[in-house]
Amino acid sequence: MATSFAGVPIFDYEALASVLFFIGLAGAIARRNPLVMLMSIELMFNAANLAFIVFARAWLNNAGQIFAFLVITVAAAEAAIALAIVVVVFRSAPQVNVDDVRVLHG
Amino acid sequence: MANPEHVMGVVGSYPLLIALWLLPLAGAVLCWAFGPQLKRAAGWLATAVAFAAFALTVASWGSGTQSLNGALGADQPLVRWMPGFHLGLLLDPLSLLWACIITGVGALIHLYSIGYMEGDSAFARFFAYMNFFLFAMLTLVLSDNFVGLLIGWGLVGLASYFLIGFWFYKPSAVAAARKAFVINVAGDVGIMFAIFLIVQKTGSIGFGNAFAAADTYGPTLLLAICISLFIGAAAKSAQVPLHTWLPDAMEGPTPVSALIHAATMVTAGVYLIARCAPLWSHDGNAQLLVGTIGGVTALTGAVLGMVQWDIKRILAYSTMSQIGYMIMGVGVGAYEAGVAHFFTHAFFKAQLFLGSGLIIHALANEQDVRRMGGLRKRLPFAFIAMLVGVLAICGIPGLSGSFSKDAVIQGALNHGHPWLYAVGIVTAGMTAYYMFRMLFVTFFGRYRGEIDPSELGIRHPEFAGTAAHADTGGHDSHHAPAWLMNLPVAILIVPSIFAGWLLYGGADSPWHRFFDPQFGVAAPANVPISELTTTLVTLAFVAVGILVAYLRYGTAAARESAVERLRRESVGMWPILANAFYFDVALDALFVKTSEMLGRLVSRVLDPHVVDGTVREAAIAAQGSGALVRSLQTGFVRAYAVFLAVGIACFAAFYAFHGVH
Repeated sequence: MATSFAGVPIFDYEALASVLFFIGLAGAIARRNPLVMLMSIELMFNAANLAFIVFARAWLNNAGQIFAFLVITVAAAEAAIALAIVVVVFRSAPQVNVDDVRVLHG
Repeated sequence: MANPEHVMGVVGSYPLLIALWLLPLAGAVLCWAFGPQLKRAAGWLATAVAFAAFALTVASWGSGTQSLNGALGADQPLVRWMPGFHLGLLLDPLSLLWACIITGVGALIHLYSIGYMEGDSAFARFFAYMNFFLFAMLTLVLSDNFVGLLIGWGLVGLASYFLIGFWFYKPSAVAAARKAFVINVAGDVGIMFAIFLIVQKTGSIGFGNAFAAADTYGPTLLLAICISLFIGAAAKSAQVPLHTWLPDAMEGPTPVSALIHAATMVTAGVYLIARCAPLWSHDGNAQLLVGTIGGVTALTGAVLGMVQWDIKRILAYSTMSQIGYMIMGVGVGAYEAGVAHFFTHAFFKAQLFLGSGLIIHALANEQDVRRMGGLRKRLPFAFIAMLVGVLAICGIPGLSGSFSKDAVIQGALNHGHPWLYAVGIVTAGMTAYYMFRMLFVTFFGRYRGEIDPSELGIRHPEFAGTAAHADTGGHDSHHAPAWLMNLPVAILIVPSIFAGWLLYGGADSPWHRFFDPQFGVAAPANVPISELTTTLVTLAFVAVGILVAYLRYGTAAARESAVERLRRESVGMWPILANAFYFDVALDALFVKTSEMLGRLVSRVLDPHVVDGTVREAAIAAQGSGALVRSLQTGFVRAYAVFLAVGIACFAAFYAFHGVH
């Protein structure tokens, strides 16, 4: 099992991935602009992808890389749907605030 | 192929039976479907069907009686259902006799009805019901198994319901029909229970299998089967205490009373016990029970018959009393005597009812004998018909009733029931009294129809069918020819007088030769009192009955003071007799009131607090838990994101502490 790539220890990669993930999570929870929330979610996706790829290299198992591709695909589909929803919400309200979408709550 | 085990060793199919059986159904369907088109022809069609069925029955005579090494008659399989459960038609001496009476007397009553129902708005419907009744009754007596018998049993109850409530705009008729139906259904349940017991033991519904196994039932089961069967027989044949529907059933048109509630349907209980003779012969307790109930019914019917004022109710209680005789006969084991009394009773009682119908018809539906009187000159033919019927039912020697009634009374003694013997003799005297009372009050003295009802002690004058009369356009507008109603009565006079002679000659009589293969040759009994003595003692009681009736209603002085006497008797009638021994009240208190109480209990406690309560509590629980979960659904997307994050953190923490494995 490799312990470092290009002179950087695995722990550092994983620390980076964790930091990215929690930045994304904080953004998704704290921000009210749907576009920014989407970007935060993408950030979490990519943190996960980074972790997948690092572990794939570390364990010499390509399943992690394949999983990264799958995540990218799903993220693309998710972005398409999410953007469509955002556009629809834009039409009904001049300013987009996800908390205002609460009016859909029964 | 016929199954010999299934039907008491009878072999040989007989397709004509199917025609005989289905013919009245076809007539009923035709009258029902094409009633408006057929109009008066419906009556003739139904009558022709009844006569054709009678002709087929007579043509079947040989097939029903030939004795093939102990095998009797013919069997026609209909449906092979599963092993032990085959439905078919059976013709043997017993079913042949019943089929003859049903179709023969039935055909005559159909003919009579054309005149009697003339002008009724539902003329065709009446004949559809009558033919339907013939079909139902034939189903009952021709079935070779218990299920077919039960089907017929239910269908005759239905036909009876239709016909009692025929004038459905009379509330009393509707109430009477409902009462008759409910009591009869209670009897059906008894028979159903007996079938369950028999099938559980023998795995078959066939008569033959059930009777062949009679030895193996054991005393408890056999008694249970016999009692269950007898509950059905008692309800159908108006035995105490299930008799209360029969007097009320007189609300139906008089031909219906003659056919269903005198000649045929009410004797189905007699048929059932005679059919199940192998079971009864194995069980002395059942014999004692059924014989006793028969005797009690004979006595009760006679006592109540003595105090009735409605001519049809007199005849109804008389019917109940005579069926008591029959049940007593077949109950104690004198099957041939009990069946013989059914045979002769069918003739003279049908004749009495049809004769009373002539009177009711002539008096514009008046049924109260207090408002009759002196009809001898006005209706001479009705008088002769009634007189012959009365003499026959009283057991005047030479007429049919004397042979069969004496045979029943003697049979009770021969089979070791001296008390029933005494009851039979006393009842014969009472029969003579109430019959001659009716005869004197109706036909002698002066006509009292114009007298104010209150002077006769009639508190609530009931002009029985007057309303019905007006509604149906009235019989007065166009009269059917008189012979239509007189001819059947005239024909019935012949067997009323002579039918009993079939029993003449003791063990060698045609009757015994006919039925010995069915019921077996009776062992020569140790007879304590000879038949001649029995006849003489009975005759003495009959003479006393006639004499009392004559002294009270027949003498010149009594005829003169008839109005005063009838008023005094009506007003001074003992409440216990006026209320028919409170049987109605007792049944009401026992069953109707308890059912109502049970219903109230359910509607006030069980339904609102248990059934509805459960549903309500379930709804409240669902609502509460829904409200709880609903509060989590805030609609804030970011809140959901927090839930997600917390959930993931929980998973992560779990795996961090426990490891992946």
